[in-house]
Amino acid sequence: MQRLAPRRRPDWDAQVERLGFSFHTPEGETYWDESVAYSFTLRQIEEDIEAPTGEIEELCLAFVARAVEDEAILSRLAIPPAMWPLVRESWRRGERNLYGRLDLAYGGRGPAKLLEYNADTPTAILEASVVQWDWLETAMAGGLISRGSDQYNSIHEKLVAAFATITTPAPPRLHFTSMADVPEDRGTVAYLEDCAAQAGHKTRFVTIESVGLLSDGRFCDAEGEPIAALFKLYPWEWMFRERYADALGRSACRFIEPPWKALLSNKGLLPYLWEMFPGHPNLLPAFFEGDPGAGALGRRYVRKPLLSREGANVALVEDGIVRDSDDGPYGEEGFILQDAATIPDFGGRYPVLGSWLVASQPCGLGIREDASSITKNTSRFVPHLIEA
Amino acid sequence: MKRSTQIGLTAAGVLLAASAWSMLSGEDEKLVYADVGECKNAGQLPPGECEARFADAQAGHVRDAKKFSNTSECEAEYGTGRCETRTVNGVGMVVPALAGMVLARTLFGGGRRAEPLLPPTRQACPPGSQAPECQPASRSSGTSSSSHVSGGSAARSRAYTTMSGQALVANGGTAHASVASRGGFGSIGHSFGASSS
Repeated sequence: MQRLAPRRRPDWDAQVERLGFSFHTPEGETYWDESVAYSFTLRQIEEDIEAPTGEIEELCLAFVARAVEDEAILSRLAIPPAMWPLVRESWRRGERNLYGRLDLAYGGRGPAKLLEYNADTPTAILEASVVQWDWLETAMAGGLISRGSDQYNSIHEKLVAAFATITTPAPPRLHFTSMADVPEDRGTVAYLEDCAAQAGHKTRFVTIESVGLLSDGRFCDAEGEPIAALFKLYPWEWMFRERYADALGRSACRFIEPPWKALLSNKGLLPYLWEMFPGHPNLLPAFFEGDPGAGALGRRYVRKPLLSREGANVALVEDGIVRDSDDGPYGEEGFILQDAATIPDFGGRYPVLGSWLVASQPCGLGIREDASSITKNTSRFVPHLIEA
Repeated sequence: MKRSTQIGLTAAGVLLAASAWSMLSGEDEKLVYADVGECKNAGQLPPGECEARFADAQAGHVRDAKKFSNTSECEAEYGTGRCETRTVNGVGMVVPALAGMVLARTLFGGGRRAEPLLPPTRQACPPGSQAPECQPASRSSGTSSSSHVSGGSAARSRAYTTMSGQALVANGGTAHASVASRGGFGSIGHSFGASSS
């Protein structure tokens, strides 16, 4: 694993905008940065990233199977009791999941370590699936990187294939939702909508705020059309606590991601995985805050809220002193403590690997790089390649 | 190769959507037609399908409709001129006339089923009612052949009674459940900002 410094394509901004990637420089800050690229050997990709990703997914599914039957776990994960039947039934019915992103600490040697699982509303999919793919092709054609390079990235074709089978029989229309006025979320959803259309679905976007409830209990879009299946880039833990939470159970709506994914996007997953599979090479020791077992943590650990996004409210603690933290509104539901992984240091830059799964199959990689070892909303997306 | 062989962003796959689903604009939206001609004009179903489904509805009509022994009893419930005499098993009976058909699709359920529709009851459309759905149709009465139906006539709202006795108002050929509320999602997101991770 090496950090390369290829030249940017001269018209890189036009190149990425052509792909519908409009949020490359939000508020004037660089987000897409192709003056950096990480290179891997095929062995590193297949043995250190792809295979462990599939294995971690199996551990996670084993956890879900246990958690849905265990009220103590559902309570500890702060799932509102009224939502337990919804979560449980979605798992028992075998509702299929679309995608997720494992965040891994890996620097080229030794086992990759699971930092967390963005299982419900992962983002940076367009960048990973399409933008870096096109960068690889055009950068090779332009002689900016070695011809014959490859990339760990079949995300796009896996998405199209997954949409073709995700609900059987296919609904009359697949609705897509995200918050109004969040352009990067809208961009992500537009891409997934395109994948669904390519898989043969009729699609329509509706902002989460304009979702309505029909007199017969079903949800509807802005035009009053019933919603049979809804892809939502809006987290379950919020939907569980909003006014329409009570309507979820009898809405007859199929959700993507399904409600059981709420058990994996919760940081409480991490201590349970460590309890179920202690010493697993791809797991970091993790405990609920206040658990006496937490004494086994090393001198550096990370404190994370059960529910948090974009690194908010995450703190790095060293010898009892907070070294680095990010402010935010989370933490009400409790915290977990996780051994601090060594985020590899490439000349003051800290890459975190986003290892993608589509329909639970490992299929690609997206890297976010930061000047701090906590990945934040300000980190940059950088492409990768597999060396020729 | 560890990467996708090609990526299409053109949404060209929309062409693949020519399944039965695409014929209906919403899953269990109900499609309502006064007669075969209106069904064909609406263009939501193939013409042959319109004829076949109306034949279903006609076959079910006399069998399932509420039966009266004389016209005045029937008209007391369904209104003047909305009943007809039919022979059932050799016996003359009065039934409310066939007023249309409704096609429903149960949620994720598959098959389409046509049900006959009856005229609105006096309770739903009292004599002299000014409600738009209660105005008599401007089409030639009593036939279900492919009569001339103007677009305007097909698009206006119209009241019916289902075979189980429920009132149904169809607007522009479709009947929806009504929107009871909006805005039940999104409040927490607005207090936090970004929603993805």
